[in-house]
Amino acid sequence: MKKTEYIVIAFVNNQVSVLNRITSAYLKRHINIESLNVSESFVKGISTVVISANTSADTIEKVVNQLGNIVDVIYVDYYLQSDLICKELGLYKIASVILDERSYFEYILNRSNGRIIEINNDYIIMEKSGTRNELEKLKEELEKRNVLTSYSRSGIVVLHRESIENMFQKVS
Amino acid sequence: MKNVRGTEALLLSLLEEGVDTIFGYPGGTIMPLYDELFDYKDRFRHILVRHEQGAVHAAEGYARATGRVGVCFATAGPGATNLVTGIADAMLDSTPLVCITAQVTLDKLGTNFFQEADMISITIPVTKWSYQITKASEVAGVMAKAFYIAKNGRPGPVLISFTRNAQLEMTDFAYAFHKPVRFMERSQNLFKFSLIDKACEMINRSDRPLMIIGQGVILSGAEKEVIELAEKGHIPIASTLMGISAVPSSHPLFTGNLGMHGNLAPNMMTQACDLIIAVGMRFSDRVTGDVTKYAPNARIIHIDIDKAELNKVVRADLPILGDAKTVLEQMITGVLFKDRSDWMDFAREKWEMENASVIDRLLEIKEDTVSMAQVVDEIANAGGGDAVIVTDVGQNQMFSARYSKFNKSRSLITSGGLGTMGFGLPAAMGAKLGVPERQVVAILGDGGFQMSVQELGTIMQSQIGVKIVILNNSFLGMVRQWQELFFDKRYSFTSMVNPDFLKIAEAYEIPAKRVVRHCELKDAVREMLECPGPYLLEVVTEREENVFPMVPSGASLDGIIY
Repeated sequence: MKKTEYIVIAFVNNQVSVLNRITSAYLKRHINIESLNVSESFVKGISTVVISANTSADTIEKVVNQLGNIVDVIYVDYYLQSDLICKELGLYKIASVILDERSYFEYILNRSNGRIIEINNDYIIMEKSGTRNELEKLKEELEKRNVLTSYSRSGIVVLHRESIENMFQKVS
Repeated sequence: MKNVRGTEALLLSLLEEGVDTIFGYPGGTIMPLYDELFDYKDRFRHILVRHEQGAVHAAEGYARATGRVGVCFATAGPGATNLVTGIADAMLDSTPLVCITAQVTLDKLGTNFFQEADMISITIPVTKWSYQITKASEVAGVMAKAFYIAKNGRPGPVLISFTRNAQLEMTDFAYAFHKPVRFMERSQNLFKFSLIDKACEMINRSDRPLMIIGQGVILSGAEKEVIELAEKGHIPIASTLMGISAVPSSHPLFTGNLGMHGNLAPNMMTQACDLIIAVGMRFSDRVTGDVTKYAPNARIIHIDIDKAELNKVVRADLPILGDAKTVLEQMITGVLFKDRSDWMDFAREKWEMENASVIDRLLEIKEDTVSMAQVVDEIANAGGGDAVIVTDVGQNQMFSARYSKFNKSRSLITSGGLGTMGFGLPAAMGAKLGVPERQVVAILGDGGFQMSVQELGTIMQSQIGVKIVILNNSFLGMVRQWQELFFDKRYSFTSMVNPDFLKIAEAYEIPAKRVVRHCELKDAVREMLECPGPYLLEVVTEREENVFPMVPSGASLDGIIY
């Protein structure tokens, strides 16, 4: 069966146990979650859950229908990456030896649209937002130079190209 | 506004919801609630079971027989975990339950306190909703929501975990019924009327339609509409295991039961029909056999209240999301009469085949033995189809489903989805308490009976007039049948050495009789049914009887053996 990355977006009541119920629907069908992000939505008391997992079109449709049965799930649907604006934030801890090659560092900074948020004698912390691929590419490049000491990604933050807020307001 | 303890708020909420019967078992953490219940003895009938699993199955039996929400109490930890099997059973069979389990005090949660088990996490996959009450002020609102969720939409079990501090706190009590929540509005009756027109058109065009009814028909109270629609369009009806009794067995358009051990006619009709009208059923694997070869010539109209069931197992040509009764009501006017006598003849022909190859053989009288089919048949004849039949799981269940006769809806109570052995006896207790005016007969195997045998104590203490029939073949019969057919007769751990069931009955002061020959059967069944209180009838049956027809696991319905 062909597996594709599907992104499920759910608006849920901000309640104890809701997240367990959601992940339980994935667990039941033995689907591994690649990325999961929960944050407060634009409505107080309602959280946005964004889950990405690799599965088939047929399965994700059934999972989403079952997620829809959870009492505290207000709205849920699934998307392909291309349906959405997907961004992640990456934080890179870089050994300060990179400053020995100042021109290279500036080149990296400019090209990757990064921003320095902390700098001292030992390390530089740089932040960069972008797609997962962009973040990973930069990570690999820094690793090759042997200057990356730590790296962390936020998980995806999404916005639907169509207004998902409109859909949500229709059902609320 | 009344200022009350959390425990009293809970009992008052139950009264508001019309609860009169509670199945339960006390223990340390739930003692404040039981102490409160002592003052409400005149308003609730509390049935003290012998094991918490008995409480939850009894609540299921009560709910299935009455259509109301079943309620059970259990203490924290082991008491609560003992409910899990029954909750899972209720989830798969859409049985409305509200289970209240005690929990340790809020500030001790997560500390491995004595008898602490995280019931919310444990029951997430098997409940429709669950909630941990940690403040007495939450009780009224949460209970109203619990009952609403348990019985509305597709019914199911709700678990309420009630912490000890919330039981003891004082709160102001005011009750308001729950207002529909968003998801409920979404999942009910959102179908467009154009779908109804399309469905009618598909039916009117069909030469060989088959209406398949599931428990959804019973849950939505659509029995009358099913018959009306079938009669109006001259459409044969077949039932899933869970839909049995929704349509009287004797109805001329009723062609029998579907599924692995269903009748020949409806299973073969499924493969031969050109249209399936599926009402309130979920295309369980026991019904479809090999899905890829299921109903190869049929278009499918699927009416269900649960969106997640539509297109889950089979793709429907026309899925209709809605309540069975409402949808069928709308369809009746649009369906036209069409003479489908040829199609009904097909059903009759298959019935003759089944009679000749299976039924006549099993009902044939042999002097020295009794077959399970004969026992069920005798009960059906003596009870006239008015009894509520409660089964356990296995051969006893399949024989009960196949040989019983039903005149009234809600008359077969069985564990369909989960196939829970030990379900029968406690479920029959619950059913009898729910519909005391009806005859309730539990038909059990010797295996399943012994999984809940302790509930005889409940029957004795509460004087529950349930009739218990044990089909005793000293085997775990269904597993043995499979071992015979598919595992070269290697009877691995299915043979049982049983105690003297009459002595057990005697110990519990329940009148009992044993039948070993066919000639004794008729009188014994009559004596049992005439006995005013509980009664136990043990029938020593043929040891190696098989249930046929049978669709082997994973095979297509075409591969039905008979």
